[in-house]
Formats: sequence, structure tokens, C-alpha cells
Amino acid sequence: MHHDKPAKPLPATGRISRRQVLGTAAKATTLPLMPLIATSCTTPVQPSELAFSAEARTILDAFVDRIIPADANGPGAIDAGVVFYINNALTNWNSQEKDQLVEGLFQLTRTARQRYDQDFALLSDANKDALLRDMEDGVIAGFPDSSAIFNRLHRLTLEGMFSDPYYGGNQSYAGWDLIGYPGAVMASTPDMQRMGGRLPPLHTSAYGSDYDGD
Amino acid sequence: MAITLPETDVVVVGLGAAGGVAVLPLTRAGLQVVGLEAGTWMNPGTDYKADEIHNNVRALVTTGNKVAGEVPTVRRSPTETAVQQARHPMMNAVGGTSIHYHAQSWRLNPWDFRVRSATLERYGASYIPEDTTLEDWPVSYADMEPYYDHIEYEVGVSGTAGNLNGQINPAGNIFEGPRSRDYPMPPLRSCDFLDHMLEAGRAVGYHPYHGPAAINSQAYDGRPGCQYHGYCDRGGCHVRAKNSTDVSTIPKAMATGNLEVRDNCNVRRIEADNTGKVTGVTYLRDGEEYFQPARAVLMGCYTYENIRLLLLSRSGFYPNGLGNNRGQVGRHYFGHWDIQGGTLVTALFPFDINIWYGAIAQGVMVDDWADDNFDHGGMGFIGGASLHVYTEKHPIGAAAMGTFGKVERNWGSAWKDFIRVNAGRTQTAYIQTNTFPYTHTYADLDPLVRDPFGDPVLRITNGPKRNEPMAAAHAADKMEAWFRAAGACDIVNTGGGVGPALSTHAHGGTRMGSNPDTSVCDPWGFSFEARNLGVIGGSVMPTAGARNPTQTLQALAWRTAQHLVDDWNSITA
Repeated sequence: MHHDKPAKPLPATGRISRRQVLGTAAKATTLPLMPLIATSCTTPVQPSELAFSAEARTILDAFVDRIIPADANGPGAIDAGVVFYINNALTNWNSQEKDQLVEGLFQLTRTARQRYDQDFALLSDANKDALLRDMEDGVIAGFPDSSAIFNRLHRLTLEGMFSDPYYGGNQSYAGWDLIGYPGAVMASTPDMQRMGGRLPPLHTSAYGSDYDGD
Repeated sequence: MAITLPETDVVVVGLGAAGGVAVLPLTRAGLQVVGLEAGTWMNPGTDYKADEIHNNVRALVTTGNKVAGEVPTVRRSPTETAVQQARHPMMNAVGGTSIHYHAQSWRLNPWDFRVRSATLERYGASYIPEDTTLEDWPVSYADMEPYYDHIEYEVGVSGTAGNLNGQINPAGNIFEGPRSRDYPMPPLRSCDFLDHMLEAGRAVGYHPYHGPAAINSQAYDGRPGCQYHGYCDRGGCHVRAKNSTDVSTIPKAMATGNLEVRDNCNVRRIEADNTGKVTGVTYLRDGEEYFQPARAVLMGCYTYENIRLLLLSRSGFYPNGLGNNRGQVGRHYFGHWDIQGGTLVTALFPFDINIWYGAIAQGVMVDDWADDNFDHGGMGFIGGASLHVYTEKHPIGAAAMGTFGKVERNWGSAWKDFIRVNAGRTQTAYIQTNTFPYTHTYADLDPLVRDPFGDPVLRITNGPKRNEPMAAAHAADKMEAWFRAAGACDIVNTGGGVGPALSTHAHGGTRMGSNPDTSVCDPWGFSFEARNLGVIGGSVMPTAGARNPTQTLQALAWRTAQHLVDDWNSITA
């Protein structure tokens, strides 16, 4: 056909819990570098390589965690496996922008060291957010494309959170539950278009509904 | 050296929305037709997904193998260097863009066919927009009615008649021209949000109705009805309920035994002899060059490639491109002033509207502020825009919503709380404005940018317009009032917009008309200069209505093909 097919799924070798992989996800900086292979059986897009070094992965974890934090409204980007999505995207479909985005992450942490004498991932949430606002606004000296890089990383974070779990993110349908999208279906009934409150979650993927989200 | 193939009666270049229709009257009349298509057959079972990444983010259905290398460049004035766009949802496949389009399927309003004379009659010469090359169409609504009817029945269109032989039905579009019979299928099903908007529209004095769609609302022609799964936009139909030509008219034409579909053919040139007559088509397939002789050729590519192929097909008789000895090819081109032109009215409701599922064409339309359906006296513009609300919301797009100034940043916990509540509560109306041709808006060959074969890509020059943004802004305010009547708590209204860069509703460039000095094609869609060359598709349309063009260009394609059958001897002499 006229486009790249996703790589074939690796044979399942027993399921690993997402929590086992991510540990206590909120402390992104304490995570060891884990292979970025998502754990769901509905996630057959398997990267043949890792897009990130351990250092870049640590910065990206901290970035997505501030874009969509875990809070009273439920899981955040880390819990939902957004970094799996971004890794899959940058090793396959979006590989042409990988180098620029990874360099942007390093520039972000270099700016953190200049400003706070600490790596970005080790800053307080308030200082991370202050730096991210300046990155989004394009006002960091020596970081000329910061706004465009922020926007791409922000966009990829949203794609990872709200795309079909097939692509590695939106684990346990955390993103779809957040906004009330019930799930991918092959047919909808009139009742699924009724108004008057939220629709109940279906937790279905376009690529099979067998994934139960741990 | 090209391999010369045995002669056929007709070559149709491109088997999309237009070419896929034209093959049916030709083959039914017994003509031998070769359809040359740059793409191949899609497989609804495996190629189409209920997946926003697949359809919308990565554009895997709409990405073509050939068009990817020939996306036009765009500029806003003749002094700028035009810049090539990253991609455009043209498509190479049997069925073409009719596979992934929204399938809103309209007849134009009778006024659309005679905008110039109707404007002069009602408002006077001062209302003709400055710099326009506007002409009446060489056909009237009455001329088109039988061909619209063919499309509605042979392609399959669902809807409610608003004017059945002069009898007005307020459940349909009361402004439409008289139709000789009803649609073959009732409209797509309604839903709570659409019923709510219908009621609100009536409350503010508009005449809303369920829009027509080339989608089965029930089983038709051996295929099932719509499943409303919400991935119609830029995706093909997994159950073949969307009546793209690869599942409707092309299989019927193949059943006659007179159509050969030749896929993966990259047409490079239309050939002409030294009397100006077209002799056939040169194309590449699997690296081999072929010449397919034909008694007549119909060009059925997307507007951009119809124009480009004519300009590239130079010969002794046509030194400036085929059928271009009067310099009209590429003139009178324009993109539709619609949502791509930046006319956006987005509403936030204080309740869940639950439009995740459905289809873009499952919608309610208002025509009160389109065409000449209201008095323009004192307003300083002509035309207007249709207002359309619809279903089908995708989760990434929903989460990436505008936030109506309610959160400081589109990230962090405050934003997350905002989208938790509101991602399922917004709608951006689809507003489509009557659009006209201008002297400063045209297509030609780019002097710098080339396709992978070394041929220039097309260059689009979009000059400034005054009428369209005024008409669009007027309609956008009417849309805002409609949303407010429906209980919207916040609205963002961008007004008239700036106009499209490239357009998925590209019109003109091989305009049909009565005067060979100002048009490329005659009133039947045949070249004034190359008499056995017909052109079908949006490139022949002289104006854009306040609605999607596909059914009109399909009706024209049928009419052009039927004319070739009826006048075969004189056209191919």
C-alpha cells in the first residue's frame, strides 16, 4: 500500500504490569531507564530502537508530567504511557523531527542549570512551570526555536494521551476517560448520541478491545 | 520510447469523484473505456480505521503516491515567491477523494448559475465585485436537473426534498431549486444535538434542515446503511456505506464489460496532432512508458492536476499548453472561501452535546444567509454562506480545543480540569461562502519547484478579496446568533477570515463558458480548441456555491460524458 505499516507485534512473553515498568511514576527522575516497549497486547507498534538516551528520557518524562500532571482529576501523561507514544512516533512516523526535539530537551535542561543550577527534572514544579512558560513564549536567550519545539512536544504529548492505546499511550484509557470519549467502535447506536450527561466508558480500541488496562 | 497500445474509444484520466461517474454513461452506451488511475484499489476491510492518528494526524488514507510529489505552491501576491505546502488531501486511488470526503452532496441553488445577470437585475452594476471575472454559467439549473437526478440515484444520495416540482416542504431546504423527484433515501438519522440545533434555528427564524449526503441512510444498491462510528472525515467507509465512486458507479461501469481500470498509471502528457486534435495519453507504469491512443480523452483529475497536465502538454499546435492558445488555462481559478479560509465560529455549551459518534455529513444546514436568499440592498456585497452543524468529534482534536480565554495556558492542572469538563461540549460550525473568480487569482506553473519527474508543480496566486470576507462575516454573525439561541455560553467568531491557501474545493482554471476568449471549455465541458478533449471536475466550475461542490461536478461529468455519446461522430471526426 502507499504508507508504512506498523511493525509486527513482538510475541507476547508474559504481561508486565504498567506499574512495574513505571514504578511510582510521579517521581520521574528516580526512574531507571526502562525499555520503551509498551506492555499492552493492543499495542503492536514496537520500536526497533529507542529514540532517547537515558538523560533525554528523564527530561521528557518531566516535561510531559507538567503538561498533563497526575492530580485530583486522574492519571497524568506519565501514568498514561505518553512517553511510549512519543518514542514510537519519533522512531517511526515522526523520525525526521527527533533530533531537533531531543536537542530542545537538552537545551531546556541547560537553561535550568543556568537559571537554577539544577537539571530541569530536579526542579520544583513551580520552577519547571516558570521555565516551560518562558519556553512556550520563546523568551529564553540562546534558545531561538523554543516556542516551536515546545509546541511540537506539547502536541505529541496530547497525541499520546488521547490517541488509540494501540500506539502506546492512553494506557488504561486514561486520556479518553478524562474527556469522556467512550471508545472506538465500528457502529454507534442512537443512544450513543443522546444528550444529558456523559456517556459511560466503553474502553475499546479500534484494534481490538481485549486490552483491559491492567 | 513509449510502447504504443491498441486504440480505445475513450481514455478517462483519473477515476475519482468525476471520472468515476463519467465512465458509467460512456460504458452503458457501449463505448470502450480505459480508466487511467494513479493510485490503486483501496480495501475497506483493512485500509480504513476508526482511528484519528491514522486518518487525521498522519493522513494515511488521504496520502497519495503521486500527489505527494506535486503539491502546488502558494503565494498571496505576484511579487512573492510561492511556497510549497507540506501536503494536501488530494488522493490517488480508484474512487479518489470521494473515498475520504465528507460526502455532503448538494445541488447548487438556481441563483448560482446566473450570479452576474441576477445581480445586475436586482442590485445593479455597482454590486459586481471589483476585479471579478464573473460570468453566468453556460447552463441553468433546469439544464442540470436531470443530471443531478442521475447522481442522486446512481451514486446514492440521502436527504429530504425541500422543493418537489414546486411544492415546498419546510423539512427540507426551502431555497433549493425544484427537483423532479424525491431523494432515493431518507436523510441520515438525527440525534439529540441536531434536534436541539434544529429547534434553536427555527426559534431565531431560520429554516434549518437535515443536509443531504452521498451516504446510505439505509441499505441501497446492495450495500448497508451508515454505522455512524465517527471516523468518516478523511477516512474511507469500513462498510461501504459512503458512496465513493469505487463502490458505486465504477463497479456498475465494470459490469458492462466496457471499462478497463488501469491502476498505478502516472499520466505525463496528453498528446495532440498538428491539427489540434487529441490523439491519446502518455503514461508511466512500473517504470515503462506507454502511449494509449484514443478517439477522445476526458480529463478527470483534481482541479490542480487538470490545470497542470494541460499546461505541461505542449505541442506544435499548442505551444503554451493544450487548449491554451487563448491563455485561459489556469485563469478563473479560486479556492472555496470556507473553513479553510478562516471563517470559524466555535461555540461552547454548558452541557455535554455528545457528538463523538456520527458522521460529518450527519448535520443540520441553514441556507437563509447564503446565495441571494436575503435582500442585500445596502449591504455592499453579494452572496453569503451556508451554516452547518454536525457530529463526529475525535478525541485528540477535542482535547486540543481552544479554551475561550478561560485558562492561562493549554497545559497543567487548570487546563486539564477545563478539558475534562469541556472537551465534549464544543462545536465549530462549517461555514461555506459563495466564491467568485478574480483577475488576481490564478494558477500557473511554478518557475522553481518541480515534481520527482522534473516537471514544474502548479503555483497558486491568491489575490485580495473584498466581497467574500464581507459575505462570510455576515453569515458568521448569523451563526453566532444561532449558537446563542441554542444555549451556547461562549463563542469565538473569527469573522470573514483571510481566504484559503490551497483548497479541498478548488474551482476553475479550465472554466466552462460561452465565450472562447474567456473560458477553456464550451458549454458541454469540451475544449474550445481541442474538440475531442473533455474536462470534468471542479476545474470547469465558473463559481462556487455556498456548499460542497462534489454533486455538481459529478452531474457535470455525467452531462459531458453523455454529450460525448450523443455527439460521438462530430466530436471524434
